Amino acid sequence: MQMHGFLGRLADVLARQLLSWLHRRVEPGSREWLDALTAESECADDGWQRLRWALGGVPLVWTINQRRQMNEPTRGTMRALIVPGVANIAAIAGWYAVIIPATYVATHFLRCHLLFGNQPGGCQEHPFVFGAIAICGAVLGMIIALALRARFAAYWWAVFAVFNTVGSVWYLRSGIVDLPRYGATQSAMLMAATCGVVLAAIMRETPGTETDHGPSFLSRHRITAYLIAGTISFAMADSLIRMRDRHLVADNVNHYAVLGSAMFAAILAGLIGRHGSRLSAKGTIVRL
Amino acid sequence: MPRLPNTSPQTLSVLALLLESPRSWHYGYALSQVTGLKSGTLYPILLRLADQGWLETRWAEPEQPGRPPRHTYRLTGEGAKTARTKLAEAAPLRMTRRLASVPGSR
Repeated sequence: MQMHGFLGRLADVLARQLLSWLHRRVEPGSREWLDALTAESECADDGWQRLRWALGGVPLVWTINQRRQMNEPTRGTMRALIVPGVANIAAIAGWYAVIIPATYVATHFLRCHLLFGNQPGGCQEHPFVFGAIAICGAVLGMIIALALRARFAAYWWAVFAVFNTVGSVWYLRSGIVDLPRYGATQSAMLMAATCGVVLAAIMRETPGTETDHGPSFLSRHRITAYLIAGTISFAMADSLIRMRDRHLVADNVNHYAVLGSAMFAAILAGLIGRHGSRLSAKGTIVRL
Repeated sequence: MPRLPNTSPQTLSVLALLLESPRSWHYGYALSQVTGLKSGTLYPILLRLADQGWLETRWAEPEQPGRPPRHTYRLTGEGAKTARTKLAEAAPLRMTRRLASVPGSR
């Protein structure tokens, strides 16, 4: 009986938390129907009924946000798509136009070639130089993308900033023992970085929310979200590396590299979202 | 073939219930209890009907102190007229089944 009462109270708390969370998913001006649903939840006889009722808020919020998007003026919507779209393409393509020549210039001055592997005269003989180019390139690309308010491009470069940084550390720690080993770890690191950024970005930015202006980057909820994003990404990438070669798992360096990529990526994506939100709060950014 | 707007069994059951007493104000929770629709189905229907001008909404003072105001609904004149037409157009068999499941309005 006590257990039943406890579960009922738990359901009640969950229902209220869910409704409160859903309120943050809807813009203040569009909350009439969610407020209506919330008010009616008080009529529920017990916690479980209230929870069942509150769950109905999920499709309602989806409907409200869909309706809001459809009601936005077409011209504004087109502009909102085109302007940041161009900025994002420019931030991605433009930076490739800088980083690729920079890499070739480095090979020219260092008298090495870009063939990857253990061949003599390869770029692996200058890991600091090429690592620095790759890391600085991606980080600068990210900063430029943020300056252009092109957040998609910033996420793009965040993936490579993570991948290049962790990859460089991995290389300096282990060197290229053999290509299959390096290749599998690279794939897993890239996957972990991509998943980490994407998941953290999704957690960060739900369209039509006001959460971006809410808790700080270091709030308990945010940190939990980033940890979850990083852990899921690590698990996915770790599965990949296990499928590729079980022997790779025996080496902890691979694990640390993948874990580092996943966590670093999630945190970086959170920082990018935060920066974009500040711009957004000032009304100077078109979100993409 | 896409279905015509507002002809789903769920929407028809809401319309049928609202038509039982078109001038009375109805609460969302009561509508859900009587029609058997979950809140996640009922509220998007109500929202759409209100958007189309079929439904009039109003915030009512709470019956008990400390409770939030409640949202109430009733059909507009145009909504009631169109709802009657929609219900008449619906397949007789389905109508019989749906209306049989709707008890009298409050």
